Amino acid sequence: MAELPGFQRYQLAFTARLRDPQNQPPLAGVPDERMAVYEEIVFNNLFESVSACFPVARKVLGKRRWLKLNQAFMRDYSANSPLFRKIPEQFLEFLQMAELELQQQLPPYFTSLCHYEWIELSIASAEASDIKEGKPAGDLGNSRPVFAPAMQLLDYEYAVHKISARHKPKQQESTQLLVFRNADDHVKFIELNAVTYRLISLLQNSPITGIQALTLLAKELQHPRPESIIEFGLSILEDLRSQGVIIGTHD
Amino acid sequence: MAIISQIQGTGLGLKRELIPQIQSLYGQEKLANINFVEIAPENWISAGSKAAKQLDWFVERYPVVCHGLCLSLGGPSPLNIDFLKQVKAFLHQYQIPVYTEHLSYCTDGFKGEQGYLYDLLPIPFTEEAVHYVAQRIRQTQDILGQRIGVENASFYVAAPISEMSEIDFINAVITEADCLLHLDINNIYVNSVNFGFDPHVFLRGIPGERIIYSHMAGHYRQTPNLLVDTHGENVIDPVWALLEDAYRLFGDFPTLLERDNNIPPLTVLMQEINKIADYQDKAGHRFTAFHQAPEQMTG
Repeated sequence: MAELPGFQRYQLAFTARLRDPQNQPPLAGVPDERMAVYEEIVFNNLFESVSACFPVARKVLGKRRWLKLNQAFMRDYSANSPLFRKIPEQFLEFLQMAELELQQQLPPYFTSLCHYEWIELSIASAEASDIKEGKPAGDLGNSRPVFAPAMQLLDYEYAVHKISARHKPKQQESTQLLVFRNADDHVKFIELNAVTYRLISLLQNSPITGIQALTLLAKELQHPRPESIIEFGLSILEDLRSQGVIIGTHD
Repeated sequence: MAIISQIQGTGLGLKRELIPQIQSLYGQEKLANINFVEIAPENWISAGSKAAKQLDWFVERYPVVCHGLCLSLGGPSPLNIDFLKQVKAFLHQYQIPVYTEHLSYCTDGFKGEQGYLYDLLPIPFTEEAVHYVAQRIRQTQDILGQRIGVENASFYVAAPISEMSEIDFINAVITEADCLLHLDINNIYVNSVNFGFDPHVFLRGIPGERIIYSHMAGHYRQTPNLLVDTHGENVIDPVWALLEDAYRLFGDFPTLLERDNNIPPLTVLMQEINKIADYQDKAGHRFTAFHQAPEQMTG
């Protein structure tokens, strides 16, 4: 630090104190009362942004542990996005990259729960992809279904959508969800079974028709009567269209 | 779509909570004194389709200015060029002619990253800091291809290592960077109480010809000699007196009301905006190089 100009050395001592008021020394010649204003507003800003995005995670952890976790975020994480909206995403990254010691202090489902809470915000502000709507009432079997412009499949080891302060999962429960933004810009979640999850991922990953995807699916399942899978699958696709997950078809 | 000469009269800082009210009262006499609106690019860049639709609505109806929060002009980490390019594309996309930032910093370069702290921290007023900040403003202006305005920030801690007064620092930076001044009237008052100086004397040191526009706001009085710049209260009388004095000194520069917390209904905010308009009517007319010749500024 010796080669830095004096004003920058001062700035770094200032921010070190903001990041960790409990352990970093106060600045010489700066009244505690004044420094406390910065310590409070900088932490509270971050704390409020994070808390607003993770209401369930906050309750599950309890007031004191939630506060300590946020203090660790302030102290240990270097945020790299100037966008306030990205603070929760960076908190999630902080959790994912956290030292084992911190991980072990948190419930095993905690990071998944935070991801689930964050994804709603993420989908709400996701840029719409350029996909054209296609034909809204097109044939889902013989053409390619077009999905809502902001949508994501989610696969968790815990039933994250059922977690609350009163209901903390005691064991793993494989859970597939779909989150999407509908035409009215509302974010919706749908719980999927494993077959529907697979069907949607097949359609997302390659330019195939509904019937082609269902034929592949029947093969994967080694189903004795593929036509029943196709019939059943087409009704699922129609249902997804009625919910706004599928917005039309391409030829 | 706007050009810089359209930034005139009185304006309002655009908060999401206010958008439905503005949209439903649009065109009515009550809102006549909203002549321009201000947004923080950090809140609108890649904010999703709903925000984009809202912004389209405003851009079609009002001149819009951008007032940034996180460029960290005084920060020890390198200037975030990727972000600045995003800002440039954003200004271009929405044809926004004005971009201003704070004379402060919000990053510390922690762990070799930017290290955003998301608040406005005080730059020590030293000679080295003047050159450093001025160089970063010039770099910003070079990348954007336009001049920016820098705002006098409010603060609560005076750096013991400072070598000059705030007004001398502001003048030195602005002169060296050849940028514009985004004058915050409330911040002058807040700092005058927090650090014990006469705000009217301070005002007389301001380079009036460089004012692009100004801010009015309320603050929170934590103790008699500690004011916190919350933008959550009504504007108080001494700040009105300061605005009146500034108009008397420099003419009726454009002025915008900021209200970020504890937001009353729009019709109540309009009372303060209308009061600014009254003060402007009473003040002399102001002509500046950039308000007369917008084409040189919009690039």
